[in-house]
Amino acid sequence: MKKIGLLISAFIITLGMPAISQAFVDDEACLMCHKYPKMGRVTSEGFQKSYYVMPEVFSKTVHRNVPCRDCHYYIKQLPHRPVEEGVRCDRACHSITNPSTGKPFNHKSIYNTFKESVHGREKKETGLENDKPYCIDCHTNPLYNPDEDVPPPHIIERCVVCHEDDKFANRWYNHTSRRIREVKRDSQEIVALCSRCHEDQEMLQRHKKAADEEGREIGEKYVIAAESYKKSFHGKVAQYGDKNVANCLDCHASAENYYMSVHELLPSRDPKSPVNAVNRTKTCQKCHETADQSYAMIDPHPTFRKELNKFNYYSETVYNWVGNVALFALMLMSLVETIGRKRDGVSWALRRGTTWRGRGFRKNKR
Amino acid sequence: MKLSEEASGVLSTFLRQYKIPEKDAKELEELVSIMPSDRKQIYKNVVSNPVGDLFRYSIHIRIQHLLTFVTFLLLAFTGLPIHYGDAFWALPLNGLLGGVDVTRVVHRTLAAVMVFSMVYHVLGLLAGSIQRISQGRFDIRRTIIPILKDARDFMADMSYFAGGRENRPEMDKFMYKQKIHYFAAAFGNSVMVISGSSFLFPEFWNSILPVEYASNFQEFMRLSHPHEALLALLVIAFWHWYNVHLAPGRFPMQWTYLTGKLTREHQIEEHFMEYLRNLAELPNERAYLRGVLLEKGLQSPTAAEDAMQNTVFADYREYLANKEIEARTAAAEEVGSVEEGR
Repeated sequence: MKKIGLLISAFIITLGMPAISQAFVDDEACLMCHKYPKMGRVTSEGFQKSYYVMPEVFSKTVHRNVPCRDCHYYIKQLPHRPVEEGVRCDRACHSITNPSTGKPFNHKSIYNTFKESVHGREKKETGLENDKPYCIDCHTNPLYNPDEDVPPPHIIERCVVCHEDDKFANRWYNHTSRRIREVKRDSQEIVALCSRCHEDQEMLQRHKKAADEEGREIGEKYVIAAESYKKSFHGKVAQYGDKNVANCLDCHASAENYYMSVHELLPSRDPKSPVNAVNRTKTCQKCHETADQSYAMIDPHPTFRKELNKFNYYSETVYNWVGNVALFALMLMSLVETIGRKRDGVSWALRRGTTWRGRGFRKNKR
Repeated sequence: MKLSEEASGVLSTFLRQYKIPEKDAKELEELVSIMPSDRKQIYKNVVSNPVGDLFRYSIHIRIQHLLTFVTFLLLAFTGLPIHYGDAFWALPLNGLLGGVDVTRVVHRTLAAVMVFSMVYHVLGLLAGSIQRISQGRFDIRRTIIPILKDARDFMADMSYFAGGRENRPEMDKFMYKQKIHYFAAAFGNSVMVISGSSFLFPEFWNSILPVEYASNFQEFMRLSHPHEALLALLVIAFWHWYNVHLAPGRFPMQWTYLTGKLTREHQIEEHFMEYLRNLAELPNERAYLRGVLLEKGLQSPTAAEDAMQNTVFADYREYLANKEIEARTAAAEEVGSVEEGR
């Protein structure tokens, strides 16, 4: 009996232990603390932050081969000091070699492009600049598709003929197949992502006010970009769940160099922007092949605000008035007719061959 | 009854256009003279069949109405949940059809049926008008085309309802209310088709529009489609359905849209001009009305004087006599020319 009891206890204890993947090697002993689900704190702004690392999940992400301290370079001792700056994405990952250059891998190229864009910022910013998104505001640490856990054996079997290490073959397969399949967010996800900031009226008004005060040019639709997109055809179709409808990036980023371009978004007044007046027709033609200059004039951010589109504002006002007046005039006419005919003695239904059974209460003038 | 100038005009045209035999015209003359000048006395005393007595709409018009109202209601039923996609009531309506993607396809398909119905109607109208013109039977007063008399009828009718007149105006086959409704529907349908097609074929519309108006056009269409739809739905629900289903005397419904016939009392009350034509054309109707007037003692006390004043019949007799003389002369000339030829 005792043995059975011990076995059950051991089983329960085992269930309660954090599962550590065999694939993930914690050489730096980070999991010593970060394996605990309740590892976290509440920031001075009141946000709950979790520092829990799930090794079995992390081991399936694109960064799974990067040792923690390649990114968290400021950790020099254990237990470590409070983190001041956090991860910067422009640092080189010393443990990973870029196979194309033989040098330590880094994201500097895309990082520098991003910094030049309208969203560009440093990791640590204050004031208005701090409202801008940093890399991790858009990029998570994406998982490889679970279906790719076991790459097709016939491919790996062939790779290991020369490359010996099947781990390398698996990594190569995961990496390349992900790019070949063009894994990217669908329209709804991109709109939701952009709307996180572009729908925050408090933040938008803050920036608009600052630009106005400084005499800086700012797009007239800046404060209604997300709201007006959602009312447009594109926005509605995206909301209905169409995955291919034009989202923010389809128009505001260049199709020719999409992955780089989404990091260098420019205001529409910049001649290099795909939505600048000179490029707009070409941008529309990406989806609407027969689009011409007239077509490109259709406003993808329609609004009925008086200060932004007087034509729309007054059209809607006139429509409302005409509609209401017409409806009430017709109903009034029916009311007058009903009273008049009832007074004349008409009953509601035609029975026994007539509707004029009633005597009526109309006074005959004669 | 002493016929009004307008009624005389309508009757005169009809007698000539439809070549009503002299015997029938004589019968009609006698009947009209004994009709009481208070038309209320006529429509209040006749017996009507609820499903209709007098022919009004051809099978084509009935099919067009059926196609239009079925597609209209289904278009509203599918279009509103598409437009108000995030409203609490839109989700289950879209879900009912299998999701908004299906609703959109159904909406477009129904729109195509409605466009077909419109085309069918316009072609039918054109064909009917051409036929009538070629037969010499076209009378603009009998059509849906608005004329100045409609404005006068409207004022007179309102005056009657307010107690300012003894009788409702003598209205033709289509009264002012029906003309307002018809043109509102025609305008609304056109707006819906143009705006709907601008959503479906924006490239086409913008390729034929000048650059400076392209954006305004598209946005105006986007505004028009739901506004017009909602207005049409409300007008149908609160006005048209009221008029044909709920108004006094029409409850629970007029059968005209199914049988193509209108009740006798309705025809006399609201389409008196058309009733005069019916009397001219239908011997049975003349016999029926004469019977009612005699049976109920409704004959006009001034019948003899009225008959003297209704010169339309004397004019028609003269017209027929002249026609006969013309025909005889033509025949004699023909015989003469044949004999000369010999």
